[in-house]
Amino acid sequence: MRLRFYSFCIAVSSLSLQAQIVSGDDILEKVDRAMNSKTRIVMSTMVIHGRRDIRTVQAQSWQRGTSDAYTEYLAPAREKGTKMLKLNDMLWTYSPSTDRTIMISQHMLRQSVMGSDLSYEDMMEDPHLPNLYSAVTSPDDTVNGRACWVLDLSAKKEDIAYYSRKVWVDKVRYIILREHLFAKSAKLLKTVDITEVMNVQNRWAVKSAVYKDVLKEGKGTEFNVLSIKFDDVLPDHIFTKASLRR
Amino acid sequence: MIAFLWKGIVRDRSRSLFPVLIVTIGVMLTVFLHAYIHGAITMLIQTTAHFNTGHVRVMTKAYAKEADQIPNDLALLGTDTLLSSLQKQFPELSWTPRIRFGGLLDVPDKNGETRAQSPVFGFAVDMKNGNSPEWNMLNIKNSVIRGTVPAKRGDILIADGLATALQIVPGETITLIGSTMNGSMSVTNFTIAGTVRFGVSAMDRGTIIADLSDIQAAMDMQNGSGEILGFFRDDVYHMDQADRITKAFNAQHEHSIDEFVPVMGTLRTQSGMADYLDLIDAYSGVIIGIFVFAMSIVLWNTGLTGSLRRYGEIGVRIAIGEEKGHVYRSMLVESVFVGIIGSSFGTMFGLAIAYYVQEHGINIGEMMKNNSMMMSNVIRARITSFTYIIGFLPGLLATLLGTAISGIGIYKRQTAQLFKELET
Amino acid sequence: MLMLKLAYRNIIGAGMRTWLNVAALSFAFVTIIFLKGVYNGMNDQVERATIDALYGGGQYWHERYDPYDPQSTVDAHGNIPEVLRPLIKQKGAVPILIRQGTIYPGGRFRNILLKGIDPQQKILAIPVSALAERNRTIPAMIGTRMAKHTGLHINDLITVQWRTSHGTFDAREVMIVNIFKTTVQEIDNDQIWIPIDIMQTITELPDQATMIIMNKENITIPTVPGWNFRDLNFLLQDLHSLVEMKSMGGSIFYTILLLLAMLAIFDTQVLSIWHRRKEMGTLMALGMTRTQLIGLFTLEGSFHGILAALVGALYGIPLLSYVARNGWGLPQSTDDFGFAFGDRIFPSYSLGLIVGTTILVLVITTIVSFLPTKKIASLKPTDALKGKMT
Repeated sequence: MRLRFYSFCIAVSSLSLQAQIVSGDDILEKVDRAMNSKTRIVMSTMVIHGRRDIRTVQAQSWQRGTSDAYTEYLAPAREKGTKMLKLNDMLWTYSPSTDRTIMISQHMLRQSVMGSDLSYEDMMEDPHLPNLYSAVTSPDDTVNGRACWVLDLSAKKEDIAYYSRKVWVDKVRYIILREHLFAKSAKLLKTVDITEVMNVQNRWAVKSAVYKDVLKEGKGTEFNVLSIKFDDVLPDHIFTKASLRR
Repeated sequence: MIAFLWKGIVRDRSRSLFPVLIVTIGVMLTVFLHAYIHGAITMLIQTTAHFNTGHVRVMTKAYAKEADQIPNDLALLGTDTLLSSLQKQFPELSWTPRIRFGGLLDVPDKNGETRAQSPVFGFAVDMKNGNSPEWNMLNIKNSVIRGTVPAKRGDILIADGLATALQIVPGETITLIGSTMNGSMSVTNFTIAGTVRFGVSAMDRGTIIADLSDIQAAMDMQNGSGEILGFFRDDVYHMDQADRITKAFNAQHEHSIDEFVPVMGTLRTQSGMADYLDLIDAYSGVIIGIFVFAMSIVLWNTGLTGSLRRYGEIGVRIAIGEEKGHVYRSMLVESVFVGIIGSSFGTMFGLAIAYYVQEHGINIGEMMKNNSMMMSNVIRARITSFTYIIGFLPGLLATLLGTAISGIGIYKRQTAQLFKELET
Repeated sequence: MLMLKLAYRNIIGAGMRTWLNVAALSFAFVTIIFLKGVYNGMNDQVERATIDALYGGGQYWHERYDPYDPQSTVDAHGNIPEVLRPLIKQKGAVPILIRQGTIYPGGRFRNILLKGIDPQQKILAIPVSALAERNRTIPAMIGTRMAKHTGLHINDLITVQWRTSHGTFDAREVMIVNIFKTTVQEIDNDQIWIPIDIMQTITELPDQATMIIMNKENITIPTVPGWNFRDLNFLLQDLHSLVEMKSMGGSIFYTILLLLAMLAIFDTQVLSIWHRRKEMGTLMALGMTRTQLIGLFTLEGSFHGILAALVGALYGIPLLSYVARNGWGLPQSTDDFGFAFGDRIFPSYSLGLIVGTTILVLVITTIVSFLPTKKIASLKPTDALKGKMT
């Protein structure tokens, strides 16, 4: 009931917004506000379609703002206990079998995470899109039956992985439902399709998504959120290198 | 008549010793050279076989397509079953699995923080098994410069140059950061058991050798391997046999559409050495041809000098009424005997030396003050079936020809002049 | 003089035997020079090809560049040094920019090195002029090995992905305008060559390079801060040690060939001394000393060497110079594109090689001729006259 009320409110407010918002940047700001939170604790799985088999990796992640994240892998058995810590643009990994904390160097960040279509760099990207891109609107479109704004984003600064993006934003929920990532030459490199969303603590969040590196052969990587909790208080010690060995 | 001539040769050393000696030495040199040239070619092939393709190599079809990229995600799985079936089916080869891998070597300081890093390339080979062919193939024991050979779990060998560059010594623990066959990051600790020198600077800059089972664990490839190499037991590449085995093996999976079926390839086709090997074959043929030709001239000369030695004897024989043609024929038969005896001894001695050099080798590295390397710098002679007969060609024919030509002089000698000649 | 005349007459008088010895010896002679020449030629060719296609007259490397670590190319670039600019302008040096990239032949990812080079350059013998053509797509060039591994052909388009200096992904299609054949794998395997100006633009590294390759004629090598000069001695180090090792192996063959020729000389000498006892006795009776006699026979023997050198020169010079001019064809395929190096070997005979081999053969022949003559030292003229050997 409460959920429906909220949806209604958002719908009404967005209707009124629809009339007012004309600029892509404004929409992007709204998306950013709708999608980001102070902290979150996410339990997720990643389904990786390899050439010979399908693997599922489960992880729990504690995130503070957009800059810091602490992730612990829970399954499969081989990855269990592997931890990663991201503080701004630095990334460390801890492997229990070696009991060593190793900083992932610049070029290793470009490698894929667990054999998926995502790189460590993709994971570490600053998700505040308005900081990185300016947006202009394209003709509207529908994704999975939902009306969307289509925004063409182009980079505001130089040191950015994807020079331009195209995002499909749900007009009512302000959540991105589809994203295309382009090279500087405007060649399509990666696609993200959000296949399912969920409402948690009165916010819309991604429940399932498929990442695909379009240059590479394969079915892409499925990303599923099992549970998500927003704005819990997370103690500072989580985001220290010492916590990796704990 | 033949028995009579035989006795003459055996009993009268003056007429046989020197010619036989010369033929023996000449044939010995020819035989040894043949084996030596084959040995030098074999060395080249062996290096390729030992470090790269084996004499034959089994991979998955998908892996074989891009083998130069070492795509371990497409590696063979179920290696044990495949290995035992290969051993049963083709017992003439010894089979051994290998994984080639790349990664980053991370050296910790005393606090466990990264002190140095270097990209490395590695071979994972079976070193747990004392009978593993790898001990010989990679010449592991003789290549260790510092430390010892790996004995326990997690022991690795590392290129000496790399160890020096990273300032690490045997006994230290290092971490290998690589990726599993599924593409996950893999972080594994290893202990440096010893350092080795490969003899190729690219390899000496960053190569490590680890035990197969350790890398299988590190790369999440349980019972998997990139390749299974087959080596002929005498460590010689037998082209026809390799082709036959490969054909027989591949016929088993000919109609499979599975991209992970095992396929076999030979050294010749996989190393990109097919053209090169053809060239070397031609080249060595020319060299041996030149040598046999030179040898024939020398032995022809021996035939000539042989007749000269017996100038007096022949004079007497003609003087007492032996027919010239008979003398000539008996000389030819004798030269055949000399040829056979000389060639037999020559081949025997040549083979003996060749065998010694085949077993012990000539270390051209020692001449260069740069020994104990993995890439063999020992040239070994190589006896082939042809080595047994090559000496007879010049040994027999040239001696016969030499006698035949020099013997023509017999017909020129006048009986009336003979006693005068013999008086002097 | 008398001795010389006598020795000469004696060995010419021996007829066939002498000529067979001379034939065998001259054969060994010519073969050794020929094979060594082929060997030198091969090494020269490899060295020349490597210098021509890869090293030039030495290279300035950006201080962070490490050829064994492809990751080093991420940071190994810098502004082309001021001091070298005039030289580059006069085509006396050529800058190369190297970056890592990725291609996806058949949907599989493959790391490559993207190399930018001036299409007008003449310093390296890489047929880059095809890169000068400018259409909308980026012209690119690969070697035959790369073409084989990736299944690419001329006029094929392939997507190359790279990062700009700011880390931004970029990917474009390049068109393969030329596939070149080279024996120098270092410019072929997993590499794509494109024009350097385009590369500097697309990677956002204007005016930058990873290395600067000098012309072979550049004698003055200025010190450039931030760049290390690598001369040919440094660059060819590996090749030289390989060559040294190979020629060690080859020398065994020459030894055996010489041994064989010496066997003939030795045999002839032994026979001469045995056969010509009476002659020796006569010469001694006429007043020739034993030493003179030994000298005569040794001289006769070593005349073989001189004759062999002359006879060898007679057929060897035309033969060897013919091969040196026309090369020795190898039974490999001849490709008509790119530079077809490696299909012919051109032997190179240095003066040192010819003179050295001649002296070596003469000295050895003389020694071998001398050895059997020692018997003469104990010869009694009376016995010798009777045909006895004491």
